[in-house]
Amino acid sequence: MPRGAFSAVGAAAALTLALTACSSSSGSSSSGSANGPASGGRTLVVGVTSDPDTLFPWKATQFQAVNVLQNLYGTLTEFDKDLNVVPGLAESWQTSDDGRKLTLKLRQGVTFADGSAFDSADAKASLDQIMDEKTAAVARASLSSVKSVEAPDAGTVVLELTGPDAALPANLATVNMAMLSSGDTEEKLNATPNGTGPFTLGKRVPSQSITLARNDKYWGAEKAKVASVEFRVIPDESSIVSAMQSGNVQLAVFDDPLVAQTAAGGGTITVARTPQLNYHVLQLNAQHGDLKDVNVRLAIQCAIDRKQVLDTAALGEGEVTGPITAPAYKSDPNRRPCPGRDLAKAADYLAKAGKAGGVTVKAIVSQGEYATSVNEAQNLKAQLAEAKINLELEVLESGAFVDRWVAADFDAAVALNGGRPDPDGAYGRYFTSDGNLNKVAGYSSPELDELFAQGKATTGQAERKAIYDKVAAELEDNAAWVWLFAGYTYTATTANVTGFAPMASGSLQYLRTTAVG
Amino acid sequence: MSALSRRSPAGLAGVVILVLLAAVAALSYLGWLPYDPIAQHPPSRFLAPSGAHLFGTDQFGRDVFSRVAAGVGNSALIAVVAVAFATVVGTLGGLVAGFYRGFADGAVGGVTNVLFAFPPLLLALSLASVLDRDWFTIAVAIAVVYVPIFVRVTRGPVLSLREIEYVKAAVATGQSRWQIMLRHVLPNLTPIVIIQVALSLSWAVLTEASLSFLGLGTPPPAPSLGSMIFEARSLVFVAPWTLVAPGAVVVLLVVGLNLLGDGLRDTLDPRSRVRR
Amino acid sequence: MIVRNPVVRRIVRSVVVRRVAGTLGTLFGVAVLVFVMLRAIPGDQITAGLGTEAAALTPAQRQALELYYGLDQPLVAQFFSWLGNLFTGNLGYSARSQQSVLELTLHALPVTFELAVFSIVLALLIGVPLGMLAASRTSATGNAAGQVVSLAGLSIPAFLLATTLLSVFAASFGFNPNGQGFATLVEDPLLNLQQMFLPALVLGFGIAAPILRTTRTAVLEVRSDDFVRTARAKGVPERRLQVRHVLRNALVPIVTMTGLQFGYLLGGAVVVEQIFSVPGIGRQVLLGIQQKEYAVVQSTVLVIALAFVLVNLLTDVLYRVIDPRVRAS
Repeated sequence: MPRGAFSAVGAAAALTLALTACSSSSGSSSSGSANGPASGGRTLVVGVTSDPDTLFPWKATQFQAVNVLQNLYGTLTEFDKDLNVVPGLAESWQTSDDGRKLTLKLRQGVTFADGSAFDSADAKASLDQIMDEKTAAVARASLSSVKSVEAPDAGTVVLELTGPDAALPANLATVNMAMLSSGDTEEKLNATPNGTGPFTLGKRVPSQSITLARNDKYWGAEKAKVASVEFRVIPDESSIVSAMQSGNVQLAVFDDPLVAQTAAGGGTITVARTPQLNYHVLQLNAQHGDLKDVNVRLAIQCAIDRKQVLDTAALGEGEVTGPITAPAYKSDPNRRPCPGRDLAKAADYLAKAGKAGGVTVKAIVSQGEYATSVNEAQNLKAQLAEAKINLELEVLESGAFVDRWVAADFDAAVALNGGRPDPDGAYGRYFTSDGNLNKVAGYSSPELDELFAQGKATTGQAERKAIYDKVAAELEDNAAWVWLFAGYTYTATTANVTGFAPMASGSLQYLRTTAVG
Repeated sequence: MSALSRRSPAGLAGVVILVLLAAVAALSYLGWLPYDPIAQHPPSRFLAPSGAHLFGTDQFGRDVFSRVAAGVGNSALIAVVAVAFATVVGTLGGLVAGFYRGFADGAVGGVTNVLFAFPPLLLALSLASVLDRDWFTIAVAIAVVYVPIFVRVTRGPVLSLREIEYVKAAVATGQSRWQIMLRHVLPNLTPIVIIQVALSLSWAVLTEASLSFLGLGTPPPAPSLGSMIFEARSLVFVAPWTLVAPGAVVVLLVVGLNLLGDGLRDTLDPRSRVRR
Repeated sequence: MIVRNPVVRRIVRSVVVRRVAGTLGTLFGVAVLVFVMLRAIPGDQITAGLGTEAAALTPAQRQALELYYGLDQPLVAQFFSWLGNLFTGNLGYSARSQQSVLELTLHALPVTFELAVFSIVLALLIGVPLGMLAASRTSATGNAAGQVVSLAGLSIPAFLLATTLLSVFAASFGFNPNGQGFATLVEDPLLNLQQMFLPALVLGFGIAAPILRTTRTAVLEVRSDDFVRTARAKGVPERRLQVRHVLRNALVPIVTMTGLQFGYLLGGAVVVEQIFSVPGIGRQVLLGIQQKEYAVVQSTVLVIALAFVLVNLLTDVLYRVIDPRVRAS
């Protein structure tokens, strides 16, 4: 889902395209720094539609919160812009031969914003608390293979595992796994963040702006280029475009292709597009009614032209996709029983299910959660109607949608789900029988359980890719869900902004390398 | 009608506009539209207006004219039901509050203030979550928002009317309060109520659009003018006709309603009828 | 003038006395209604904060969160602890903003109030003269102008007009004060006025229409009254006649409509506040609903209700000052 999506950082910058050429810099752009501190660099103003709903990293799933917190806190591992797992607060790590022990060597000389030093006691306390149910940390399940955490010396942390877990280093890289100073509490951090990131909290005006100041003690080889970053709240996306045109805002991330087109249209704003890990999907609940029959689900798969959904709902801005969107493990979208739309085959499947006269499926759709939802639903309905499948749409306000989704109270759901860089992280929780989202996924099988276990126990990239290809095939052959397409993230910058690297989730991790001219 | 045409050419123009729109809406009820307003035809997406598609096509290749025609009917139905409900309940409330004063005024005023002070957004959200979502729910949600307006708009004048000589005279002759209210006070409220109805009808069409914004409007794919405008506002650079067509029809509808309202006012107002 | 007139003073006092009880009743009604309705909306602070990730919570995690947000208390206890706190001046706390609701409201309410005043002033400046022109049978152009303004004001959705104005000004002239951080009237009056201009224009334009139409109707009504005919027969100059006699007597419905619209602006300017990034009270309610911060919504709605009741009170007092018929009683 969109929210969960953003706790997983990922990028596939290879396809980044510039939609417009930069025009020559206009003089008005300096006005953005008018109310920021002027010493030792400029202020970068980032337009956001909402301010963070929490400043506590272990509970932050909101896109805006994650973006701010990522710049304030550090994690043991990190992703680079191509999604490789790279050292963060851990300089290196090593898995024991039997795969049951992960030893991390911590970086020396790292300090928190309050000046205290980061050491293994902080790391152990953080991981222990994330695993404690009372903390209600959202990333708790990612540590399910961790039996205990030891800190043999100040610079080393050892994770004892119940079994091999190849996905663990990637799982440690999200801001929901941020390292906190061992004495800090949620109350305290909500008021005064205390992290090891490239920025520290400057000033906050609720619902209006949050300003970060450069952390001069940041451990990275390069400190942040700008003196401060102001996240300015402009609730309406088109108003952010206007603010960029007038030079008040220098950077923003959009997910609505129409807004991006408007931004690029003026010529003064550069818009880069990056394929997303997030995927648009028609979730089917194989525990419900007619959908229990695999033939009905396959009929739905065969009756849908994914390209048509993409073209009509999102103006063709994206790519048809299979289950796995992470570049290193990408599924072949055509490896499924119906690679293209095939109404004859759909009719066959329906006949096989004894439903030649047609079926009715109720689908929940969220309005307002993301731009294209209702349009996708309308097109799916129209396409399925031609195959005698009546998709009854229930368009819900996003709170109601989330409630129904969480309770798995639906036959089908039109959804935008969060992809993750590691396929185990992305789907293990949905499609293993003991996964914490299996109830919502509505499908599991012994074959899938076995494949996911193999994937965790295997370390080689090529070997893992082969396993997850089988996972994808299993999901598509049984039409567990109908995967549709993956869209783009649009990063808009004014002409005087340099050095920003966009990431697939719209993550602003690279604000630290960004400069304003 | 003949009185209207004689006394108010503007009102007549309003009637003509509304009859035209009603005729267009009737096309959709009779199934005489050039295309199915819901059926999608992706190969013909975003066609500019032409002979084949009078108002062009939208992003699903649906014919915008057919959708507008069907939308007029849906929007008008919602607006009329909502405003009728609000008018009856609200005017009655204002009448009772203004005429009886005292406890009745306090009670009606209290309920009105509670409803007024309530953010319409929250009201609509709650209603829509509690009730099933269809056109009738939307009409009720809009009606509840408009009831207090009618109370307030009528209560003030009732307060004034109560003091007018002939009303006082009627009280003195011992007519019952209800008789006085219905015979002497209500007719004097007619112009104000009619203006308010004309205003509210057009607001109701637009409110339905705002409800689409919150996910509470007419459920897709059924077209309504409000939801069409809302959906098309982001397409304005890609396919301006998707916005212009429903927008122009809303303007026409509103213009028609207001001209009719003015005409009715000039025709029905008891005092202007006597004096002119 | 109000204070010196003994009749008016007595009326005002009696109205105030009567109104205090009524106001408390109204506020209690609003309190109950907002409490019930908020909870009728699906979702709670947990799902609002975590989104669909809430599905991954273990039962123990969910319990910990309910405890944290105070959702484990029975509803009746929640209601009365909130109400009780109100009397001690504690409107609740917003965890999202890290501020008390009182502080938030003290920042947001003046902003909305200022916006409402500007919008009403603009609306009156546009609506009343055009309404009078439209009512004069001699001026065809005035009538036409009135029709155009009122029909445009009525039929253009505010979100369309707002977005269009903002993007045209920003893209074509680089004029976009709303793109800068918001400044209050005290901090930077010049910037503040610039930032209020477009939103007040959009709101004022929309409100001008009903005011215009109300004015036109009321003026037509009054003009057919005997005393105007008499005054005209007596040779009272036309301008003086229009202002002293006609407009003054047409004021009741105009004041009603203005008070009505002002009250609405206090809580209903959400869309315009969103588009122009104005940190007003409407946005505070919207954010509260989105985040399911019950205390924020409940207390803010109550504040809006109070403001609304006060505006009504003022409107009623104005009736009695303006309308000779009510005053005479």
